[in-house]
Amino acid sequence: MARNIAIVEDEPAIRANYSDALKRLGFDVLQYSSRADAEQAFALRLPDMVLIDIGLGDEPEGGFELCRNLRARAPQLPLIFLTARDSDFDVISGLRLGADDYLTKDVSLPHLTARINTLFRRVDAMRRPPSQEATVTHGNLSLAAERMSIAWKGEEVPLTVTEFWMVHTLVRHPGHVKNRDQLMRDAQVVVDDATITSHIKRIRKKFLAIDSGFDEIETVHGAGYRWKM
Amino acid sequence: MRNRLLFAFAALAALLLPVGAWLLIEQMEALLRDVQESAQIDAAQAMAHALAEEAGFGRDAGSGLYVHPLRGRIVVDGSGDDWAATTPQRSRDGRLRLHAAADARALYLLLEVTDPTRARADAGNRQSGNGDAVELILADATATQVWLLGNEAPGALQGVSVSGSAEPPEGEWMETANGYRVEMRMPLPAAAARMDLRVRDVVEDGTQQTLTLHGEPESQALLRPDAARNRALAQLTPVGARLRVVNGDGWVIAGAGKLGVPEGQSVARANRGPASWLYRLLLASRDAGELDGDLPRLDAPVVWQALSGVPASSVRTSATDDSVIVTAAVPLTAAVGASNGALLLEQGSDALLVLTNRAFFLILAASLLLLFLVGVALVSYAGWQALRIRSLRNAAEQALGVDGRLDPKLPHITARDDLGDLARSFARLLAEIGGYNEYLRSLASKLSHEMHTPLAIVRSSLDNLDHEPLGDEARTYAQRARGGAERLTSILRSMAAASRVERAIASAEGEDFDLAALVRDYAEAARDLVAPRGMTVLVPIGRIGFHGAPDLIAQALDKLIDNARSFTPANGWLRIAVEALDEGAVLRVANAGALLPDKLQERMFDSLVSLRDGPTSRDGDAPHLGLGLFVVRAIADLHRGEATALNLPDGSGVEFTLRLRGMPRRRAATAP
Repeated sequence: MARNIAIVEDEPAIRANYSDALKRLGFDVLQYSSRADAEQAFALRLPDMVLIDIGLGDEPEGGFELCRNLRARAPQLPLIFLTARDSDFDVISGLRLGADDYLTKDVSLPHLTARINTLFRRVDAMRRPPSQEATVTHGNLSLAAERMSIAWKGEEVPLTVTEFWMVHTLVRHPGHVKNRDQLMRDAQVVVDDATITSHIKRIRKKFLAIDSGFDEIETVHGAGYRWKM
Repeated sequence: MRNRLLFAFAALAALLLPVGAWLLIEQMEALLRDVQESAQIDAAQAMAHALAEEAGFGRDAGSGLYVHPLRGRIVVDGSGDDWAATTPQRSRDGRLRLHAAADARALYLLLEVTDPTRARADAGNRQSGNGDAVELILADATATQVWLLGNEAPGALQGVSVSGSAEPPEGEWMETANGYRVEMRMPLPAAAARMDLRVRDVVEDGTQQTLTLHGEPESQALLRPDAARNRALAQLTPVGARLRVVNGDGWVIAGAGKLGVPEGQSVARANRGPASWLYRLLLASRDAGELDGDLPRLDAPVVWQALSGVPASSVRTSATDDSVIVTAAVPLTAAVGASNGALLLEQGSDALLVLTNRAFFLILAASLLLLFLVGVALVSYAGWQALRIRSLRNAAEQALGVDGRLDPKLPHITARDDLGDLARSFARLLAEIGGYNEYLRSLASKLSHEMHTPLAIVRSSLDNLDHEPLGDEARTYAQRARGGAERLTSILRSMAAASRVERAIASAEGEDFDLAALVRDYAEAARDLVAPRGMTVLVPIGRIGFHGAPDLIAQALDKLIDNARSFTPANGWLRIAVEALDEGAVLRVANAGALLPDKLQERMFDSLVSLRDGPTSRDGDAPHLGLGLFVVRAIADLHRGEATALNLPDGSGVEFTLRLRGMPRRRAATAP
């Protein structure tokens, strides 16, 4: 059965374009232009994934509102913010509300679809019982590529998909400096340097929340980042 | 002109006040002096009135022959050497001069006659009248004595008694270059005696003329110092004053008293500073010293005025001490009528009457103090206002921060005076500029934000178009459209970058790190980026401790290197250097290539300013929006530093310098 993806977006042209692209990949696409429409529909049936724009018609923060409501009802529902807003503040707000990812509208359709697929794969993997062979361990870190989950000293680190891919890129070759381009390519995001920096900062914070002695991600100024040997 | 100068000039105007005070003092002094003089004239008139009653003054106050009291000894030898101290009486034509002196026993006379036509008397016949002769008549109440004196040659005086019984006086007759001189001595005549002197001059043709001391042949009283008169005068003389009586010819016939300011009379004496001579110079009129000393004859305007019947006064500086002398001269209106003698009252006085007047002195002192206080107040007020204006100016200049952000912390904004109004106008103006700036500043990010959505439509449509069956031609156009969209995206991204960095700066937290290591790492990483251009790295061995945001410093380096690279020809060079300073460090990025236009170097770091034409303005390159250096400056500001751009001295290129002092350390949060 084809998966349901709901797009909540007030711009009809974008909505139609994304919808066409996703349909081409075999998804069922539900389109909503306002928060009220979307909530009305979601009350009856939840889709498998939701793409939300933050500014919805008259509500500049309507997307955040919708995200909060949905999370309350369905903690596991994959949620992606897809928005023209690209400030750190918005990114952090969105992720803090429990979105699985945050994409700006710069993202190309192939990137977007790759993200969506990745997220579905992760959701699927999470539903399956953990299998040993897919886990990579490096020191205190254990990385389950299938489930796209990372644990530090046995404790799950709540990373978004983007963050997971960044850590994954760094950990795969410890000691090697990964520059911003590589990180972006692997995380399948197109953002600028400052956003990469803030991603890394957030990742560090998440690890530090588990282990205040965490110091494995090193900054190599002008070059990029590396995972300590 | 600067306000300070204006205020200084305004303060100089205050110097006019002392000038006014000076004029006032002068007027006051003159007024007081007038009052003093008229008071003294009144006193002198009262005295003159009293003196008129006294005997002797009336008699002698007319003209007379003044007889000097003899101080030394006179040898009657005809030389006239002993007469230097005496004042002669002269005839109108000046041909006769008669000195007279007396001691207790004898009367001495010295007669000098100018006579170019000497006609010597005939020794045998003295009364013949054919030679020059002197007729001396001495008369008193009882008898008249007439002597005829005349020598035929120099030597002992020869004379005969024409009338009366007394022997001719003994004396000497001397010939002089233009006349002759007779010196004689005779017994002292009675006090009331009168003398007359006639000189017979025989001219060559035998005619003769008679010379007299006074116009009319009239006997003269002998004016001799008279103790009784002096005593009478002394009774009238106030302490510290001198009274003198002169006769109609100005001869002093009586005197009493001694000049001097009595002790304790003056309050100002103690107040006299070294400048008192200046006051005297300016305030006290200077009469010649004709009235000084004990001259037998007073030849001063004030005396002649009094003798003409009009009371007069004068002020002169004392010859001996630090005071002035006020002289009042009044006619001695005795029974003998006008013009017969005058009374002179002289009194010493303080140099500055103004200062002796206690009240006025206090007023003067108070106004000087007030003047000083007003001056101080004026200057301090002016200085204070100048300070306020300067602080307002400085605040207005600094209100527009380097990043164009408005920080209007204007002083005096609540003041209720004109400066407060000015500050409020400034604040309004700045607020408008600030709003405008804010709009401009946010325009880039707003624009990029607003254009995201339409751009997303274009891009997603193009993405979808890829999956549609298209002809080759159509595909080419789609490709071009995609290229254009990509470029638009990159423009939007760099437009938004500045505000993104600003946000990053706002939230940056300082940490301690090794700046040398950072630059070393950075330079190694950047070496590939700038290839094929050569890059020199000058980093000191060892660490440079620095407190700041390493990410942001790396970003600043990014911008500088990126900027340098884009202006460096492929065969050019770049240089990156870091040095530790006493406080902080200095980063330098230099490159060969186009120089900066001189006049615009200041504005290099402003937003949206791109000055140089690079050699690599190809299609597809990231556009030059002039945001990079703006970001650099914002980062420098964060580290309490400054960014400058200068052409290298040898003209080979440009050097950008970042002087950083480090971020201010926050107080370490106390861990719970």
